[in-house]
Amino acid sequence: MTITNTSNLGPMILQSLAPAMLYVPTPTMNYITVADKVAMPANGGTTCRFMRPRALTPPTVQLGNSGIDPPAQIPQRDIIDAQMAFFGTGCIINEQVILQDQEGVLAWVSERLAVAMRQAEDLILRDYIVSAASQINAGGGSNGFNPTNLGLTDFSLVATTLDTNNAYKFMSGIEGMDRFGTGPIRSAYFMLSSTELQSDFDALVGQGVLNNWNYPTNASALPSEWGSVYNLRILTSSEAPVARNAAMNNLGVFNDVYYNTVLGKQALTHISQDGYSMNLIYRDPYYSGMLAQNATLAVKFAQSQALTQDTAIRNLLSTRLSNLGV
Amino acid sequence: MAEYSRLARGSFTSTGAAQVINLPFVPDYVDFFNYSKANSAATSQNVISGKWQYPMAQGSAVIEGYNATPALIYDTVTSGGISTFSAGQMLQYGPVYKHNSVASADFSITAANPAVVTTATAHGLKSGDVVIFEGLYQTATTGMAQMDGIPFTVTVTSTTQFSVPWDASGSNYTAFNSATSTGNIGAWKQVLYPYLYFPGTTFISAITAPNGTTIPNGSIQIDTTDAHNFVPGQEVAFRIPSQWGSVELNSLPNIPTPGSPIYGYVDSVTDYNTVIVRTPFAAAFTAFNANQTIASIPGLSYPQIVAVGDVNTGGVQISSGSALYPPPYFVPIGTTRFNTINGPAIQGAFVNNTSQGFIIGAGAGTVLTTADMVGASGNIIYWRAILHDMGLPF
Repeated sequence: MTITNTSNLGPMILQSLAPAMLYVPTPTMNYITVADKVAMPANGGTTCRFMRPRALTPPTVQLGNSGIDPPAQIPQRDIIDAQMAFFGTGCIINEQVILQDQEGVLAWVSERLAVAMRQAEDLILRDYIVSAASQINAGGGSNGFNPTNLGLTDFSLVATTLDTNNAYKFMSGIEGMDRFGTGPIRSAYFMLSSTELQSDFDALVGQGVLNNWNYPTNASALPSEWGSVYNLRILTSSEAPVARNAAMNNLGVFNDVYYNTVLGKQALTHISQDGYSMNLIYRDPYYSGMLAQNATLAVKFAQSQALTQDTAIRNLLSTRLSNLGV
Repeated sequence: MAEYSRLARGSFTSTGAAQVINLPFVPDYVDFFNYSKANSAATSQNVISGKWQYPMAQGSAVIEGYNATPALIYDTVTSGGISTFSAGQMLQYGPVYKHNSVASADFSITAANPAVVTTATAHGLKSGDVVIFEGLYQTATTGMAQMDGIPFTVTVTSTTQFSVPWDASGSNYTAFNSATSTGNIGAWKQVLYPYLYFPGTTFISAITAPNGTTIPNGSIQIDTTDAHNFVPGQEVAFRIPSQWGSVELNSLPNIPTPGSPIYGYVDSVTDYNTVIVRTPFAAAFTAFNANQTIASIPGLSYPQIVAVGDVNTGGVQISSGSALYPPPYFVPIGTTRFNTINGPAIQGAFVNNTSQGFIIGAGAGTVLTTADMVGASGNIIYWRAILHDMGLPF
């Protein structure tokens, strides 16, 4: 008896494209989330200028009865300038790809370009903060590196610093509720941290550190919010700045150094120019060469950034307590 | 030119050190010729031309130069040749030179002002490069670990020696020993793109009180560990942890007007790491102390000067021969300015200095062992860079 099987009568078409594209691993973009947004007008020059008045000295000395006025104060202001820069990238796609490919290459390349542009905005802000914000090295941990791993006193110290500098908090507190395992949440600054430090945060749960699932209600928690400690709400991302192997202890062991950015409102400002913040450009093959063979897809944007309240932002540098998973 | 290729050409006057050329693309082919040496008598070790093409190794090149005869020969460069770069993200580093790992990575540091680093083999740095040190422990309680994690601009004094602007002569510093047998540890590595954004935060290495002459009354002198990239009129704040002294300079707290930060501004720029800052606290502040103890190191934060704004109006003083609208510039070493690829901005503004292009290095050949690829100071070099439409294989 001869059985017909796929060896002697194989399918004519061996493959079938699954109905949906697979997801693209994409980091959460926390830096653009916490930045103030300002737009420069068109024809406004190359540089965005911010002005912040200085406080006048409170008149705490009584006038007395002389009838003579005290000397006048001179109002002063601080000026912050930021220069606009332009960015862009794109793809050149031959018409044969568009003609023959079955899964809508222009659609998914457009999507990838848009995400690349948004990620560039975030990475630029991230690196700018590394360069511009002043640093505090964590010292509350126990791992012997400089900076140490994050200890509770580090969270407290940096929040105290911002409070002393009269920074504005982003989030109001959440009142406690009669629900097991939850606790009240203080009004808070944001701390932008690395997902690689989540195991260190986990090690501090129960010592004042709360995961967002232990909030009385996590309705106000952001998607990337890991949790809260003292006056900080911690957002994590896998693209947070890390200086690899940038610390070594007295045993010759390397550790990575993490830039945990703690900031209040208006500390960081993202500047666009006249709606130029996102341009997706498709150019038909008609515009390429005499045979019109190649289409182009591109994105471009204008961006600048500034620390507009330098007293309301600190990079809390730390190393890691536990080994990094892979 | 094919439709999507990129072609660029240019020239520069060599300084004798590696030359960075910024372009709007990363080339896959670079060539150059040294017009000055081609236009002079044949001399041994003179390099007349060189070229590099992807996928040759970064830092390599094929050169044409004179041997001892002197006859024109081809030679190869294996390091310090031609390389490309795309400087778009911070926190990137070069190779780690770890003490006690292999003999070729061994190094020592003097406990002096400035601290001088001697490497066992050629360090490959040029003046203006930035390095960080890590784990400079002689024992668990001695060494130079106070310098760990600080970005330092190097001044190269030989192929195996460079200095960093730090006073390591204090009693709490123990010279870092080069002997691999003593069990001491430590490492250094180059920070690849230290000035992608400026002005920013810079670590302070020294603070000097006014003397009425070079440092006018009402001002102080600030020395930094790497380039500050400040300009006159830059508004600055200080963040000085208490163990370093000079806390009176800190921006906050402000006693008479609580909550209001107190800033100084840059009076004049002496060089890449020295500025004169006018501040209301210049008359009286406690001395700066770089002599930190090893025991204080876990958790030790560093003194910083931070750009917070500027008091410039946007006008730039124009003199004969100067650009009408000069772009922002940075000064990695000495007083030599390097323009960014930006258009004009108000001096002192926060600017983006990301860039891409190629570097013609100062390396020597395999046969022409004392040649200098980039030529001698004053040589005129013509270059050409190409990014091709097509490469086979890719």
